[in-house]
Amino acid sequence: MAMEEEVFSHDLLIVGAGLAGMRAAIAAGEGLDVAIVSKLHPVRSHSGAAQGGIAASLGNSDEEDSWETHMFDTVKGSDYLGDQDAIEMMVKDAPGVIYELEHMGCVFTRMDDGRVAQRRFGGHSKPRACFAADWTGHTILQVLYEQIMKRRVRVYEEWYMVSLIVRDNVCRGIVAYDIDQGKLCVIRAKAVLFATGGYGRAFKITSNAHANSGDGIIATYRAGIPLEDMEFVQFHPTGLWRQGILVSEGARGEGAYILNNDGERFMTNYAPEMMELAPRDLTSRAIQTEINEGRGIGGQDYVYIDLRHLGKERILERLPQIHDLAYDFTGVDCFEEPIPIQPTAHYSMGGIPCTMEGQVTCDPGNTPIKGFFAAGECSCVSVHGANRLGTNSLLEAVVFGRRAGTAASEYAKGEVLPELPDDANQPAREEIEWVLNNQGSESVMAIKDDLQTSMMENCGIFRTEEQLKSQLATISKLRERFSKVKIDDKGRRFNTDLIGALELSRLLEFSDIIVTGAVARQECRGSHYRTDHPKRDDENWLKHTLAYRTDDGPRLEYKPVTITTYQPEERKY
Amino acid sequence: MAEVRFNIYRLNPETGGDGRFQEYKVECEKGDTVLDCLNKIKGEQDGTVTYRMSCRSAICGSCAMRICGHTRLACSTQVSGLLEIYEEITLEPLQNFPVIKDLVVDMKAYWEKIEAIMPYMVPDAGEPVPEKERLQSPEQFDTVFEVATCIRCSACVSDCTSLEADDKFLAPAALAKSFRFAGDSRDAADKERLTELVKEGGIWDCVRCYECTQVCPKDVRPAEHIIQLREKALNNQMEKSVGARHVLGFMESVGHSGQLDEGKLPMFAVKNIGAKISMVPIGIKMFLKGKLPLKHKPIPGAEDVQRIYKKLEGE
Amino acid sequence: MRYAFFPGCVAKGTCPELYQSTYKVAEKLGMELVELTEATCCGAGVMQAKNTELTDAYTARTFALAEEKGLDTVVTICSTCQGYMDPANKTLKEDSEHLARINSHLSDGGHQYKGGVQVKHLMWVLSEGQELENLKGKVQKNLNGLKVAPFYGCQILRPTYALGYEDPEKPSSMERIIAALGGQAVDYRCKTRCCGFPIILENEKAALRMTGRSLLDAKENDAQCVVTPCPLCHLNLDIYQKKAEKEIGAKLNMPVLHLSQLVGLALGISAKELQLPKHFVSSSQVVSAVGA
Ligand SMILES: Cc1cc2nc3c(=O)[nH]c(=O)nc-3n(C[C@H](O)[C@H](O)[C@H](O)COP(=O)(O)OP(=O)(O)OC[C@H]3O[C@@H](n4cnc5c(N)ncnc54)[C@H](O)[C@@H]3O)c2cc1C
Ligand code: FES
Repeated sequence: MAMEEEVFSHDLLIVGAGLAGMRAAIAAGEGLDVAIVSKLHPVRSHSGAAQGGIAASLGNSDEEDSWETHMFDTVKGSDYLGDQDAIEMMVKDAPGVIYELEHMGCVFTRMDDGRVAQRRFGGHSKPRACFAADWTGHTILQVLYEQIMKRRVRVYEEWYMVSLIVRDNVCRGIVAYDIDQGKLCVIRAKAVLFATGGYGRAFKITSNAHANSGDGIIATYRAGIPLEDMEFVQFHPTGLWRQGILVSEGARGEGAYILNNDGERFMTNYAPEMMELAPRDLTSRAIQTEINEGRGIGGQDYVYIDLRHLGKERILERLPQIHDLAYDFTGVDCFEEPIPIQPTAHYSMGGIPCTMEGQVTCDPGNTPIKGFFAAGECSCVSVHGANRLGTNSLLEAVVFGRRAGTAASEYAKGEVLPELPDDANQPAREEIEWVLNNQGSESVMAIKDDLQTSMMENCGIFRTEEQLKSQLATISKLRERFSKVKIDDKGRRFNTDLIGALELSRLLEFSDIIVTGAVARQECRGSHYRTDHPKRDDENWLKHTLAYRTDDGPRLEYKPVTITTYQPEERKY
Repeated sequence: MAEVRFNIYRLNPETGGDGRFQEYKVECEKGDTVLDCLNKIKGEQDGTVTYRMSCRSAICGSCAMRICGHTRLACSTQVSGLLEIYEEITLEPLQNFPVIKDLVVDMKAYWEKIEAIMPYMVPDAGEPVPEKERLQSPEQFDTVFEVATCIRCSACVSDCTSLEADDKFLAPAALAKSFRFAGDSRDAADKERLTELVKEGGIWDCVRCYECTQVCPKDVRPAEHIIQLREKALNNQMEKSVGARHVLGFMESVGHSGQLDEGKLPMFAVKNIGAKISMVPIGIKMFLKGKLPLKHKPIPGAEDVQRIYKKLEGE
Repeated sequence: MRYAFFPGCVAKGTCPELYQSTYKVAEKLGMELVELTEATCCGAGVMQAKNTELTDAYTARTFALAEEKGLDTVVTICSTCQGYMDPANKTLKEDSEHLARINSHLSDGGHQYKGGVQVKHLMWVLSEGQELENLKGKVQKNLNGLKVAPFYGCQILRPTYALGYEDPEKPSSMERIIAALGGQAVDYRCKTRCCGFPIILENEKAALRMTGRSLLDAKENDAQCVVTPCPLCHLNLDIYQKKAEKEIGAKLNMPVLHLSQLVGLALGISAKELQLPKHFVSSSQVVSAVGA
């Protein structure tokens, strides 16, 4: 297939149209030529799946709440791996960004006096989740897209970003593939901002969309920039059994119980104070332990979440989507029966290293890649450290989307379009041509399935060196198989077969990074739990991982954690 | 479960020609959704089968398609449920859209219609922006929450009868979206928005067939919100369109006699002389067939109806 | 059985043949219809756009009239009446505050709805149980495999949450009746689509396309006639058929019968008594096919 080349240019190019990307585009403001590239139509971004809430210490439900408490909860939740300067910034910005969203027209569930209602969430000591029933991400996503329409921001929708162009530590644009037309294009920009979302799709049971294939982080990695803390993958305690589809923590925020085969609220044994509202890492481990020790329902790999005592009215008011999802996907009527659940791969704490202004950096000394910014789940600021608290990531996407959008536009205003190297689109073109023409016998689906199953087994909630090492070998075999991959669709127009193969290649590559980081990190911290090293080890491991791409696989370096206010202590809930 | 036959609409834009159906057989397990099966077909049998999907949890709105003649989300439709009614499963792209490839359609016109309705909140410019949130009662939130849960899957547009007959119709998704703002206590642009909506192709072109409400996978109930928009338009004295005059004439007629005067109403509702004249031949024929009673009689006890009318509608 | 009878405005106005044929059929079947002569229009979904409090009051008053006569089932012969009175009734029954408020509008007229009435379209009444058996037994002129296209339209099926009598995706009540009469029900996609009537004044072209499309679909599936439970559908399908032919550029010539007329033919009632000649499109072929 001969590929035509077309070159576009913009002042600021944002890749990704979830909460982070669209909030950035809005922040960039007027007087600047801003465009968004997204492989999905903006409103199809996975931010829309967020149910439970977005955190801010508005103090509406509890006047005693403050940014300081929010900060402490977040630092403690992160198992002290979060950078405290960034966390402080985020929680201070939080009330303001909520009011902004509200002023744009976002709907929020209200208290009787008309203020935004707030509910409890895991790991938060105060009720500070703002929400729209269990549709929070969706309603925010819609309102941001409304603003994008209003501002007439150019959106290249259903364009797949294949690679990032960086030379001499200066970012120069991206190479993107127009899925509908089957054309490869270079888009030049003074500043590029990645907001490409998470990488949960490496796991069999996941709450993530098919599209969450880590494209942004891999484009970054392939451009020679390291990735930070990739081994930290959060498992959410309550995914629908076998499906992984999320039952929001909002359910427990409203008072739902988790029960084992004996009908026991077993969280008493793991977090006697916070019970079901303990942070996710702890709760997921508790559930997995119950299952592993044979107390899953009927001895199987699930337990129950029980909403019945909340009553029909409360469920319909606060958790209507959960009711429908449980019904449509498992046939369970949660007014009458408890819902079968199991932990599900959910959130990517690691990602592209960047500053609080979204400036991407490339080493432990935080050397910037000029003109390259990142925000949202694909980034690692790091505000979540080793374990994210629920409702903090929508917040992160909006707060840092806004900050990075502002910083990137400021930067772009002072720059001219950087020169393109001659071979700017070569890697992307070669990759696509290779996939289209490769004569192998392996199918994308089979390799993906094997990857997801093995990652779930060997790099899940509980990890050991032995398992992780065998997983590295498995991944290398899978990559070998991928070199013999063959797709059926050789066409130009809307070739989703091709896109599926490109995504798989990225899944394979970042899985390798996750596992490599996990083998090295010989301690337990947040979501990373090594049964062969069952303690947190601040002396040796209170540091961020940086993984660099080399021909022999990821090379690891480390950088210090920023600690400003709270010294590490033991985490108890 | 068993082997299930899928009949999938195929259209390749590169080879052109008309679409055709291609049959696939899938080994289905209990709990499999249509999307699960499509993924099996694509992954194991034929990688060229093309469709959109992402979240697989009924929230991103990508995977709407016609499944056995009705539009639904592939990801939340259980195969076992379909098999209770149908022997095989037919998959076709959304209706009322141009097809790009197989089950993928071009959504451009859909978004243009959304953009046409001022799809964003316009607060009162005269009021200062508050420091904190604007207040809104739980009831005011409830009024718009239902429409706020639209996932833009286009099922309603695909099954819209009016749109099928006239592509100028704004169609349920865009109309429901306008209620999202028109119904919001914080929005102040009712007049501007409604002025557009009462024009040709707007709220009065809906036939109230409730196909949209019926197929909506999220129970957004677009038809009901279109009716609420009509109410708003009438409350804003936007009474010129045939649809509005039809309502007003109808109210009058029933309010006075208890029953509709079918003979008079069309002549009242339609103001355009040409249109009036064009109704005459049918009118004459109806009269000759004894289908147009000349004298409209009030029902016995019409005073009671008039009393209620006065109480609830004023004079 | 004794039923309260709510004919609705159209049966008493532009579709007198529906009114007459319903009485004829009821007589044959031994159903006693007690007409609610003081009842008022249901609002037809038109008035609902302006004032639902008012339409609910009208409707509650109609139900009260039935209760006053000691009757608990109101029979309708119009999908639109059914489609708006049925959900209104559900809300009145479920929400006691609402009922009390609505009743407060009625009390000056001496009426009070207690919530003890069900509304049922004649089609539903005839399609099940005792009445269906009764009907089967009384058929005198078997339809002889006449190919009948049932046209349900909208208001009697959708939305499910408001009506819920049968699945709009696979309705079967008319099919059961047609089968009982010895006819053969034609299956076709448009049987649950809109006839176009509600926008015939607002957007005639679009309305005619809907009419034409549905009739053409029936025709292409070999229907000899169309039968409908809704007089408003009937108006568009019959009176506007010629115009629809022009609009879609196809000949239709499709007789359209009210459900009561089809039943009547099978019960041996004459075409004249059923007032078939009132239709714009001649039903003579149907009549001769049945041998009535
Ligand atoms: C089921 C679920 C529920 C959640 N609930 C909550 C909650 O209640 N509270 C909370 O705080 N957090 C929640 N989260 C987490 C939160 O939703 C996400 O972290 C956040 O929405 C991420 O936003 P984002 O903008 O970074 O990415 P996304 O919304 O995922 O957007 C990524 C964007 O990048 C684009 N993109 C990706 N790759 C490419 C490419 N190659 N080329 C072009 N474009 C590309 C996509 O099209 C998309 O537009 C939840 C997550 C899940 C999965
Ligand atoms: S895949 Fe997202 S709605 Fe079906």
